[in-house]
Amino acid sequence: MTDQTTHLTEDDRQSAADGTLPVERRADVEAHLADCDACAADVARITELMKRTRDAMLAPPSETASLDDLWSPIRARIEASKVVSLGTGARPSNSRPLISLIVGGIAAALLLTAVMLRVRPSEPRTSATAQATPDTSVLRAVSDSATAYEAEAQILLDRLEIQRATMRPEARAAIDRNLHTVDVAIAELKDAIARDPNNPALRQLLATSYRQKVELLKRANAS
Amino acid sequence: MKRLLIAIALVGRAALGQNAADGPILAAHGLDSSAFINMYVPAGAVRLIAWDRDSIVVRGQKSKHDRIFFGGGRQGVKMAVESPSGGDSEPSNLVVYIPRHGRVSVRTASANITGEGVAGTFNSSSGNIRLSGVVSSVEAESMNGSLDLDLTTPWLRARTGDGHLLIRGAPQDVDASTIGGTLDVIAPKVKRGQFVSVSGDIHWIGSPARGAVFDFSNHSGAVDLALTSTTSAALTLSSVSGDIENGFTRVRPIASPPRTVRFNLGGGDAHVSVRTFKGAIRVRPQ
Ligand SMILES: [Zn+2]
Repeated sequence: MTDQTTHLTEDDRQSAADGTLPVERRADVEAHLADCDACAADVARITELMKRTRDAMLAPPSETASLDDLWSPIRARIEASKVVSLGTGARPSNSRPLISLIVGGIAAALLLTAVMLRVRPSEPRTSATAQATPDTSVLRAVSDSATAYEAEAQILLDRLEIQRATMRPEARAAIDRNLHTVDVAIAELKDAIARDPNNPALRQLLATSYRQKVELLKRANAS
Repeated sequence: MKRLLIAIALVGRAALGQNAADGPILAAHGLDSSAFINMYVPAGAVRLIAWDRDSIVVRGQKSKHDRIFFGGGRQGVKMAVESPSGGDSEPSNLVVYIPRHGRVSVRTASANITGEGVAGTFNSSSGNIRLSGVVSSVEAESMNGSLDLDLTTPWLRARTGDGHLLIRGAPQDVDASTIGGTLDVIAPKVKRGQFVSVSGDIHWIGSPARGAVFDFSNHSGAVDLALTSTTSAALTLSSVSGDIENGFTRVRPIASPPRTVRFNLGGGDAHVSVRTFKGAIRVRPQ
């Protein structure tokens, strides 16, 4: 039984190493191990690795060197190749700046407004009115969120600029290509808003494009 | 009958036995069932497989010039492929088994990521990401790689720049966006969906779930909804300067203020909102 396709499964090899093979598998697995040097050597290596891991975990804390100590050289290397520092080590989604929360809140309020407008589809005049004379508070909320995103985008952009030199050329090209696409959209929307300042749809689209830009920049920083 | 059983057993073993080709064991560690696994694999490929054991096992091939950093305790491990010289490591090909209820955070530069039944965050600069299985939640991001997400999950967040983003399977709460890449969605169980692009086309195929709330937004790309005849949804389609095409010609719009079309299909159970700047909006029977 030395054919590649009939080797023991990972599960079997792990179980053989830690002695947790189900009774009904035991005979088959042992027969295979007696026959197959590759699997036998593999199980021996796993057994040895597990023993070492166990020993390390039983050792006093000083010998098991803290995870962060072990990780720091790696982290330093990752940091060096990155666009913007990881900060305190929290995942981006856990360290959303306040601005994102504010924007999130506004977006939620907008969604609610949108849903409220939508749940009365049988009143076309109401809908049409909403379209023609937008609620000023909605308008303000949308432009606030666009402004908040714009500010956040600028901060991220400044950071990106500092780190550009250390980026891989192909990564830099990809970021630039995507940024250009978003910036063209933002420019078109700003232009349209200048001509039609009270159109909430334009402002909502602008806020969405800014959100795209902010997320793109965050992605650029994280990769 | 007995021969059939033997045949099935052999086929089963052959399929499972492919694990033996994964390569030599590079690291192994006992873990809690809900452990956190943090990985950095710059180039090559990494395949993550959930299994019902409380341990992590890393197999595969790496350049003999590179080394695998691996450290941690039962609650979590961190691992990375690194070049001792401090430069870029060479491509490695890793297969990593992790506890089914664990969470990963994987980052790669150009390495492709494959995940089977693995929850967590997946981030690549230019690598492709392909995830499948039943998981608690997934966050997948790439700058210009493509994402193929075939997941059953209550929560999915996906981002790519100009890569292709494909969402299928049975996710429930989906937040997906691209910059220039095409966004394809074939996922009938979505309850809340936000689908956004700047210049990539967005395609939705199927029938929205009862009570679902969908929000599509695009700047210059098209939004194309191919809906089944059983669809029950209230649709609001609005575009600043793009064409709005309603392929359900027998359905009369409820309201048509300038550049907005509203109409109901069936009982109007789901709410679908589409907004573009100049991209075309097409709604048609599937
Ligand atoms: Zn074997």
